[in-house]
Order: sequence, then C-alpha cells, then structure tokens
Amino acid sequence: MEVLKTEELTKIYGKEQNKVTALDNANLVVNQGEFAAIVGTSGSGKSTLLHMLGGLDRPTSGKVFVDGKDIFSLKDEALTIFRRRKIGFVFQSFNLVPTLNVYENIVFPIQLDGNNVDEKFVSEVIGILGLSDMQSRLPNQLSGGQQQRVAIARALAAKPAIILADEPTGNLDSKTSQDVLSLLKVTGQKFGQTIVMITHNEAIAQMADRIIRIEDGHIVKGGEPNE
Amino acid sequence: MNKVKNKKAIRRLAFRELKADRRMNIVVVLSIMLTCIMFTALTTIGGGMMNGMQQETMRQVGGNRMAGIKLVLPEDYEKVKHDAATKDLVYRIIIGNAVNTELKNVKAEFNCAGDDDAAKASFCYPSVGRLPESINETALSTVVLDELQLPHEIGTPVHISLDIDGVVTEHDLTLCGYWEGDKVAMAQICWISRAFADKYAPTPSESFYTREHRTYAGYWQVDFNYFNSWNITGKTEALLSRLYGDNTSEFPDTGINWAFSASDVEPGSIVGAIVILLVIFAAGYLIIYNIFHINISSNIRNYGLLKTIGTTAKQIRHMVRVRAAVYSAFGIPFGIVIGVLLSRLMMSSIVSILNIRSAESYSVSAELLMTMCLISAAFTFATVMISCRKPCKIAGSVSPIEALRYNETDINIKKDRKKTNKVNPFSIALGNMSRSRKKTVVVVLSLTLSLVLVNTLFTVLKGIDKDKYIRDSIVGDAMIRHTDNTNLIGDRINGVTTEAIADLQQIEGAETHPIYFTYGGVCPEGEQLEQLKKLYEKYGGDEVLAAHLEGAVSGSYTAAIYGIDADTTAYFEPIEGSIDTEKLKSGKYAIVHTYLWNSDGDSDVEIYHAGDTIKVECGDKMREYEVMAVSIIPYPLSTKVYSILETNVIVSAEEYLSLTDKPAATCAMINTSDESGRVKEQLKAYCDRQGSPLVYTDKQTYLDEFNDLLVMVKLVGGTLSGILALIGILNFINAVVTGILSRRRELAMMNAVGMTGGQLKKMLMWEGVHYAVLTAVCSAAVGALLSRTAVRGATGDMFFFSYHFTLLPILICVPVLLMLSAVIPSVSYKAICHDSIVERLREN
Repeated sequence: MEVLKTEELTKIYGKEQNKVTALDNANLVVNQGEFAAIVGTSGSGKSTLLHMLGGLDRPTSGKVFVDGKDIFSLKDEALTIFRRRKIGFVFQSFNLVPTLNVYENIVFPIQLDGNNVDEKFVSEVIGILGLSDMQSRLPNQLSGGQQQRVAIARALAAKPAIILADEPTGNLDSKTSQDVLSLLKVTGQKFGQTIVMITHNEAIAQMADRIIRIEDGHIVKGGEPNE
Repeated sequence: MNKVKNKKAIRRLAFRELKADRRMNIVVVLSIMLTCIMFTALTTIGGGMMNGMQQETMRQVGGNRMAGIKLVLPEDYEKVKHDAATKDLVYRIIIGNAVNTELKNVKAEFNCAGDDDAAKASFCYPSVGRLPESINETALSTVVLDELQLPHEIGTPVHISLDIDGVVTEHDLTLCGYWEGDKVAMAQICWISRAFADKYAPTPSESFYTREHRTYAGYWQVDFNYFNSWNITGKTEALLSRLYGDNTSEFPDTGINWAFSASDVEPGSIVGAIVILLVIFAAGYLIIYNIFHINISSNIRNYGLLKTIGTTAKQIRHMVRVRAAVYSAFGIPFGIVIGVLLSRLMMSSIVSILNIRSAESYSVSAELLMTMCLISAAFTFATVMISCRKPCKIAGSVSPIEALRYNETDINIKKDRKKTNKVNPFSIALGNMSRSRKKTVVVVLSLTLSLVLVNTLFTVLKGIDKDKYIRDSIVGDAMIRHTDNTNLIGDRINGVTTEAIADLQQIEGAETHPIYFTYGGVCPEGEQLEQLKKLYEKYGGDEVLAAHLEGAVSGSYTAAIYGIDADTTAYFEPIEGSIDTEKLKSGKYAIVHTYLWNSDGDSDVEIYHAGDTIKVECGDKMREYEVMAVSIIPYPLSTKVYSILETNVIVSAEEYLSLTDKPAATCAMINTSDESGRVKEQLKAYCDRQGSPLVYTDKQTYLDEFNDLLVMVKLVGGTLSGILALIGILNFINAVVTGILSRRRELAMMNAVGMTGGQLKKMLMWEGVHYAVLTAVCSAAVGALLSRTAVRGATGDMFFFSYHFTLLPILICVPVLLMLSAVIPSVSYKAICHDSIVERLREN
C-alpha cells in the first residue's frame, strides 16, 4: 500500500542567473512498512527531497501525497498539525528542545496535539531504545548517540505514518552510527513504520530495503518499490 | 610565541560576521543608541539645569565671582591680586544706601565700580549708556528707575537721599546708564563715580576690623575666582591664612557665592549623586550586557566552528571586541545626536513655557555641550566594552563541541522532573525562563531599574507641596507689615498702628486680622521654676545663656505677648492640648510656646504645658492664664525676632487690648473672597500712600514664584521620567525581540516537530508575560522599599515636601508591558517566518 507518493516534484531556488534546480520532476512511491534510503552526493538534492516529503518546505511545482493526502493543499498551520500527526522527523543535529527532559521531548508532539500519551507504547519505545534510565535528563546531559536515540523515540512516539530521517548518523561516530541505525531499523520493523532516510554513506544505505539514488535533482534509480 | 600578522584576517572575519546578521545588528545598535540617548539626555539636561540654576542663584546673589572679602582696603586688594590661587579680581567701593521714600520696597545700594568688569561681575553693567565718570553721574537699574517713577532715558535728573554711615545727604545726579534690573536680586546695586566716592566716602586708612567705631563707607569689596570651584570655603580660609598669617582677628569677613555651593557639597549629597549615577550606569550596562549576551549566545556555534579551524580564544575575544566597537561606531553618534536634540527640545520648551527671562543661562555653551557629548560617548563606550567582557569570555572559552550543544542553558540544573509534566506553550515558556536564569534576572533587573527610577522621580515630584512651601512666607491671602525688616523692634511692632488697622478694616471685602504684639514678662513659679533651675545648671557654663536663665530663675524672663482674633487661631498647629476660640476669648486662657536658644540645637524647650497656669506681667498689670495649648506661632505672623529665652504668650485680641495702653500690631493678616483684584488694589494703594511705611504682599506673589519653580521641576522631572520609562519599555521590546531572533533555529526546529505557529506565538507571548509579571513584582517591591526608605529619608528635610507613598507609575507601566508582551512576539515571529523552516534550520 502506498503511504508516500510524489508527482513531478520540482524545487527551484533563486532567480534568473542564480537559478538552481535542486529537484527536477521527481517521482517517488514508498509503500507501508518500507525502509528506503535516499543516497546521493552532496548537492544532489536529497535533503531538498526529504524536506518536501516532510512538508518543511514548499515545492515550486508538483505534489506530495502522505496517506493519500496532498499535503501542500494544506495551509501552514494545518500542515504543521498534519506533520506532527503523520510524520516523524529524525535530524542530523538531533533538534531536541533544550528545556525539556528526555521523556518530555519524546511525548512533545503528542502533547502538542492535546492527546493523551499511550504510556505503554511509549515505555516500550523507550525501553527498546535503551533510554529507560535517563528519562529525566536534559538534552545537554546526554551524548550524541543518546540524543539521537531520543530523537528516534520522539519520531516513533506519535505513531506517524512515516519517519523521515535526515542523515541521522551524520554527527555520530561509526560504532554509534551502527547502533543507532540498527535501533531505527528494528523499531521500524517492530512497529510497522515506514522509514525514509537520507545518507551519503553507501554502507549505511545498504541496511535499507531499497536504495533511491538521486543525482542533480533527478531520481535516477529506485523511485518505484520494485524498481 | 611568534607574532603573526593575523589582525587583518581577524578583522575581516569580524566584519563578515557582522554583515551576516543584519537584523541582530540593528537590535544591538539600537540598544547602544538607547543607552547613549539616555546618557546624553541626562548629562545635557542635567548640565543645562545646573548651569541655569547656578546663573539664577548668581543673579539672586548679585555676583558671579566665587568668593570675596568684605570691607577691606586697597592694599588688601593688591595682596589678593598677587596671590597665585586667585584670578578675575574685581572691586567696588561701598558708599551707602538710598533712603528715598519711593525706594521703600527695594534696597538700593550705592557703590563705585572699580572698572567695567566689576559692574559685569555683579550683573549690573549698563546696557544703555555707561558707568558714571563725573561726580554728578549715576547708573541705575530699571527696577530703581521704576520705583522712582523716572523714565528710562539717559540724562534724566535723579534725586537721591543717600545714607552714608547714618548721615543722610541729598544729591541731584544725572542718569548716565541703565540696565534691565533683576527683581530677584537681594539688593539693587546703583553706581556712582570714583570722584563721588572720593568726595563723600573717602577710603579710610585704618582697617575696618581694628577700628573702634565701625563705619562702612569707603571700604572695598573685593571679589574673585579661583581656578576651580572645588572647596571654595577651604580655599578662602587658606587664602586668608596666607595673606594675614595667624592673626585671625585681622581676617576680613568673607563671602562665599552660594551659587557655587554645589562644590561645597556634603558627603551625603555626594553619596546620593554617586548612587544615582551608578543606577543610571547600571541601567545602561544591563541593557547592553543583555543584548550582547544574547548576541554572543546566538553566535556561539560559529565561535566553536572558528575554534575547530584554529582560531584562538584571544582572537575570538578580539573579534567580539571589534564587533562591539563597530556597533558603538554606529550607535553612539546617532545616540548623541538624538539625545542632544531631545534635550534641546525639552530645554527650549521649559524656557518658553516658563517664560524664563534669562533663557540663555539655561542653554549649554558649545564647549560644555561638546564636553557633555564626549562624556556621554565615553560613558556609553565604556559601558559597551564592560558589558561585552563577559560575553567575550564565554565566546573565547567555548569548546567546539560545547558550542555545538550550546543552548544558553545554565549548566548544573539537574532536576529530576516527574515524567508526567504536561507540555504546553505555558510550560515551555516557563522552562525557557528558567533555562537561562541569568538572562532572565538581567532583563528583569534592567526593566525594574527603569521603572523604579521613574517611580522614585514621580514620588518626589508628587510630594512637592505648595501650601507647605508658602507656609513659611505668608499666612492668609495677604499680609501687611512694616517696610524695614532690619529696623528696630520698637518701630517694627508699631509698624501696623491701630489707626492703620482701623483704616484697613474700612476696606470693603477685606477681613483684616491684626496680630498685636508687645513685650512683657513671665513669672515662673513651682514646677516651671524648678525646670528653669535645672536648665540653669545644665547651661550655666554658657555665659550668654546663663545670664538669661539667671533672670528667669530669679523670677522673671521675656514674654512675647501676642493678641490674635478667632480666625487667626486656625493657622496654629497645637503640639499639646487644643485651641478653643471661645475659651480664648474669655481672657482666661493662653496658647504658649517657649524658645531657648541653646548650643544643643534644640530650641523648643517647653516650660509650660497644657493645663499649667502661667503668670504674665505686662507693664503694671499682672495676669494669670491657663495654658490651653502649646503651639508655635506661624512664622509669618511672628515678630521674627527671638530672645535667647522667651515664652510666646498668645491671648485673644480683646485680652491684649486690655493689657496695654499702647496697642500695636506686628503685622496684619488679610483674607478676602474678592477675585476681581479690587481689594488687592485698594490694599496696595493704601500701603503705597506717600510716607506710608507699610508693605503689601499677597499669597499669589509667592505662589507665582513657586509655580515657576514647580513647573520647571515637574517638566524636567516629568521628561526625565518619560525618557526613563521609554527606555525601560524599549529595553523590554529589545529583550523580547532579541530573544526571538536569536532562537530562530530553535523555533524552526519546534515547528518542524509539530508545534504550530499559533502555539509558538503563544509560547513567546507567555515568555513576555512572565517578564512583565516578574518585572511588575520586582519593581513594586523595590520601588516600595526605596520609596519608604531612601525617598522618604532624603526628602524629610525639605520644608516644602509632603511624602505620599505611590506606585502609580509602575501600575501604569505594567499594562503597557503586558500589552507589548502580547503584541511583540506576534510581530517578531511573523518577521522570522519570512524564511522557510528549512532555511531557518540550516542556520548556525
């Protein structure tokens, strides 16, 4: 079942001489429960694609469907709400709220939505990610790997339709990278999550079910599930 | 270590960094500008006011030299002239006073000016004509000419009756010069020529101070300046010691110009001034420190990055300083220009509103303005540099990894929070406030400072009490008393005769209340006698006191007997007992008060108390009264002459008239409901009759005089309060805006994980509200404390001040802050939303 789909997605930055086409008519389909890795060199357009998929940036043209919904038909406020319900983010730089402790960071998007926290589910996620002993710590008291695990827990906690990970291991050493990625994959499988991850590291990409290759804004390989 | 030429690279980096963050730059430059405006406005307005006040005082004193020696000889002048400490010497020769009946309302002192400078130094240089040269010439002020009812024309004949050391001579002179007289001057100086002086008041050869029979005419008054106005009294004492050695009996009398008395300030005032300066400096420091701190915090990742690529801590500190210097280079000149314009605008409005004649004395000279601007610039720059020291340190000491994780959180906050904490905009806002407690404290403190300053100023302004101010000058709507305050007591108390009172009582619409007076004696007995004996023992060592107390102990001392009517009692404030006008009328009761001028400084020694019986003799009559109240007679109603020991015995007018055969009043108090001015005109006309020694004064004259002062003080104080309040509010805006601008990335991140714009705005709004509430609470607490202690203490001695506790300015400012805390976050957030989340997330 398609959970994520793009149609002729194009993003152009700048004007006239400074015009840069970061993404050019990109078509992509991701099925429920899939773990897809988007790879490409620096400047190939993979981050731009991910940002479009998450509704963080608006495309110049084209559409993005999440769970069948054209996300750019939504206004900013509604898009934000849609994002926190349907999309979980894992950033390279963790992006935890510095004033909230680990637990509060994890349940932050749920509480923003005014929903009750599914304590059982959250505890399970926290347990799997090995964060049980550090729930009351503040982000600046954690190591990079620990912070990224919190970010993953946060992405999972709201049970989104899709998790978008932007170079989640970019700030981590190789050992921690392996650990974090394994956790991401395991939890994804366990909870049936769809994960789209961008990386420029081929070895890491190999852990994914599918590799989507992007060059100069074009998806050159892996745009369709069975490609 | 080898020196490398890296300055250029560092500077380039600093400038590039600056260019990269335009919005923040504007905020920082604005905050420096604000501080500079505050310093400039305060120094120029303060300087202008001080200058103006000093000039006004000089006019009142009648001289602009710092000090002078009185009644000296030409050789003394030479001595002073050759002393290295003095400069700008001038002299005038004392001749005598004009005693023309037309001049009863002004004191006209005839002098001979040593030269033009001498006339200029006393603000009496003819603006038309010149100083007298021949023996029959005179130069007068327009005030004297008006009193003499003479035209302002050169060549006008002037007849003067001149009292030279008690001998009155008549002179027919010709007007050779005149100038705009100054009504506030204590005396009108009139000039005559040296030839006149030599003929009628030749300079004696013997020193005034060693002469047996002291006469004044012919002696010189020598005035001069020192090189600075610091400690003029001390300098003058030193000068006398140098000139006359140890022989203090030969020391001439000196005069210190009290326009310069600010230089002889008491330690308390210096401390007060220093405290105020420190508070102002602190306000500026907090504004700038706060902004710099935020600025550095938002750039901390950059500094970490620079460190990773090999920039040293010293170089980073240098970069921050370069940045501060560039900000100052923009902020300070603008601040000075705006500050000067603001103060100019204010001073000119004060001068025009008050119609101040000597407007030029309130304007600041170009050099002074320049100095003040330089001081303000230096002060602001010093504030900037001191304020950026701490941020410099933070920037320099940050490690690359710390920098990446830096988020302004005060380290060592380790709170084990319950994991069930509800997360909402309010709680996140609260978390943000406590995340950086130092920043919160700094912002709240700086806002509090401004508000407290405003509140303090307001309390002082509100406490100025005009009724209190005139209470020592006049009682009732008008008063009539004898012209010459220095005349003999006998004359004065007979000044307002019973005939005059009868005449005044004829004037329709005027209620005349005579204050009768005569001297008598108190015959102490029993307890009172015992008390006096004790006082005699206590002060027996003091020759003068002992002499007076001796008389009292042996059975009698001075009674100042006043006779008043029922209406006058309303102006008495009993210290003991109460005043019953009916009882007073019966003639069996009296209001009393006793003075004893002793060395302890406490002159009110109550011998008689309410309920006591006082035995009073007046001429050949002896009466006994029961003391109904102890009360000081209002100063304007008194004779203003005090014995070393005396008891005021105030009885009813009827009782007074039965006591003495020669009744007379020291003055008459007049009340009137007439608003047309007719009564005033009639009273004035009565006093101005040919040969009348009576002088009319009314409440309005004093109120007008006070109003000028009041309006000026209120305008200056009000504007300063306005500036301070505005700075406080701008600082608040600054703090909130900077707080938002510096967290663009953080806000974008929250937005990315699902916090909507509305929720973010709400969170920012709550932060503003927290600041506003904290500020309100702190300001109210500190303001109340300061008001109850310092303001109350400092104004306690001001006779025209009634302390009223108020927090009104704070109460007014709080809703403004609350409103701003609702509006600013929305506006600022909108501004940062121009960039997409991704763009903001990519920022360092």
